[in-house]
Amino acid sequence: MATRMRLKLKTVFVLYFMVSLLGLIYALMQLGQRCDCTEHDMPKERTISRLRGELHRLQEQARKSEATRRPQKESSLPTIFVVTPTYARLVQKAELTRLSQTFLHVPRLHWIVVEDSQRKTPLVEQLLAKSGLTYTHLHVATAKERKLQEGDPNWLKPRGVEQRNEALRWLREDGKAREGVVYFADDDNTYSLQIFEEMRNTQRVSVWPVGLVGGMKYEKPVVERGKVVRFHVGWRPSRPFPMDMAGFAVSLKLLLDNPDSCFDGNAAMGFLESSLLQGLVTMDQLEPKADNCSKVLVWHTRTEKPKMKREDALQPQGLGSDPAVEV
Amino acid sequence: MPMVFIIYIWHDNIVSPLIAGLKGHWCSNALAIKESHSQSIFEVVHIENFYSRPLPKSDILTTIYVITPTYRRPMQKADLTCLANTLLNVANLHWIVVEDSQKRTSLVSRLLHETELNYTHLNVQTPANSIKHARPGQKFPRGTLQRNLALQWLRATFNDHNTQPGIVYFADDDNAYSLKVFDEMRSTKKVSVWPVPFVGGLRYESPKVNSLGKVYGWSVVYDPHRPFALDMAGFAVNLHLILSKPHAYFKLDAKGGYQESSLLMELVTLNDLEPKAANCTKVLVWHTRTEKPLLINEGKMGFTDSNVEI
Repeated sequence: MATRMRLKLKTVFVLYFMVSLLGLIYALMQLGQRCDCTEHDMPKERTISRLRGELHRLQEQARKSEATRRPQKESSLPTIFVVTPTYARLVQKAELTRLSQTFLHVPRLHWIVVEDSQRKTPLVEQLLAKSGLTYTHLHVATAKERKLQEGDPNWLKPRGVEQRNEALRWLREDGKAREGVVYFADDDNTYSLQIFEEMRNTQRVSVWPVGLVGGMKYEKPVVERGKVVRFHVGWRPSRPFPMDMAGFAVSLKLLLDNPDSCFDGNAAMGFLESSLLQGLVTMDQLEPKADNCSKVLVWHTRTEKPKMKREDALQPQGLGSDPAVEV
Repeated sequence: MPMVFIIYIWHDNIVSPLIAGLKGHWCSNALAIKESHSQSIFEVVHIENFYSRPLPKSDILTTIYVITPTYRRPMQKADLTCLANTLLNVANLHWIVVEDSQKRTSLVSRLLHETELNYTHLNVQTPANSIKHARPGQKFPRGTLQRNLALQWLRATFNDHNTQPGIVYFADDDNAYSLKVFDEMRSTKKVSVWPVPFVGGLRYESPKVNSLGKVYGWSVVYDPHRPFALDMAGFAVNLHLILSKPHAYFKLDAKGGYQESSLLMELVTLNDLEPKAANCTKVLVWHTRTEKPLLINEGKMGFTDSNVEI
């Protein structure tokens, strides 16, 4: 009797163990599987299955977007050669510093900084050396008769002509690259990161709107059926290319194939950009970027000249701020 | 059976946190302000309706909370873009942007969303009737309410006793900042200071530092009697100090040039100041100002499409 009882108990235990084990195996097999929610009745299990499904979906989405976001390896991207003429003034270091901070986010960028000076200055030399960017440091002094004097309005004489042309000379004669894109970026403008990606695949000359220029909120090429047909500007729209320097980029190959094309320092006010582009493209060859020239991705900002009245009053007395401290 | 339950509980703990972690943003509800009794600051009653990316969780670098008040004008997007490009280079940074507006604008919301920065987006409109508090001829100090709201948000978000270290820096959207200034300020124990150029009519204004490395005065011409004769860009404050002095705010009725003093007087004495930038001999930030563009060709009706965002 006792034996039979023990046997019965033993059977119960064995049965219990087998069922638990089977249940465990079943649960383990369900791990990592997409859940068929129709099988579940309990709300909690339904929630867990739904969340598991959501997790799978999001993970797949993340995998897909990662794959599409980086279609090209960085080393195969065309290089953007950014040409920045610069000259010594109080805000120069501030302007170049924040410009370099923008460029740090742009892959395959080569900064060509051309000083308007007889020789390279330590300020620019050190700034470039510490910038973390790939760069070329050039210099050429603007002829005295072409230089703006103190108190002259900005528009009186074109600025940066010799410096941009010097960069073109370097690209043609000293630079090793035969492909890439050239962009003339003045040191006081503001650039979004997207504009560099827009210009990267320029075949000849690409164009886009520029904000806060020409007395307007923005100037822009007008695009119809994917082609530039005219320009929306407030001043002298009859210019061959009524655009600001910040509003276009040129393929390096096009510049190398046209070795005589350069900026004309004698061009009338507002015609500097046209003086280069006229020899390179026609209007219908322009490649509109920035969503068919509907978005503003670069701004023609200008920095105020700092007021130095107290400094100017103190300097003759030898009481001004220490000139050895670089600003 | 017990094993099966254990497995389901384990699933619960793995799956739910994973799903929660994939979410990036959260929102809260609306904003209210009221005038305080002294009428020198506007007390923010409670903060709602802000939008934030999660705060960084690194234990290694002290987080820098950069507070930027901003207001709508043609150069706003350009200035914020330029500043964002700078801040993107700074590790462990949280940008608190406070609009002077009735509600958060889509321009700023979109800009912040498209950067990859951690940020908090707040807004409070400077009430028109607050101008009556300004003295005759006094320029109404811009950004005061907005900076105070950011301080309020920090105090509402962090607990003084068990929060990670942080530094608070007031960075206006039209200044220029070297990356080095962020490195320098990270070690701030109370309040650190450095020179700022293009203010006060000088090449630069600077704290005066003695041979013991202590600030003993100010190398300024404009009102050298100010308790703290420096610009907003010229100092940073340890977050714990902000949290431990919950009544310290910028005063709305502070005289011109005394804004900074109105806060710092509540926090530190001259002796507490920590000079950075090689004992205040190097310039690491610039008080630049973007020129207001002359939109003379826009005309009364506006020449350009107002739907295009600039």
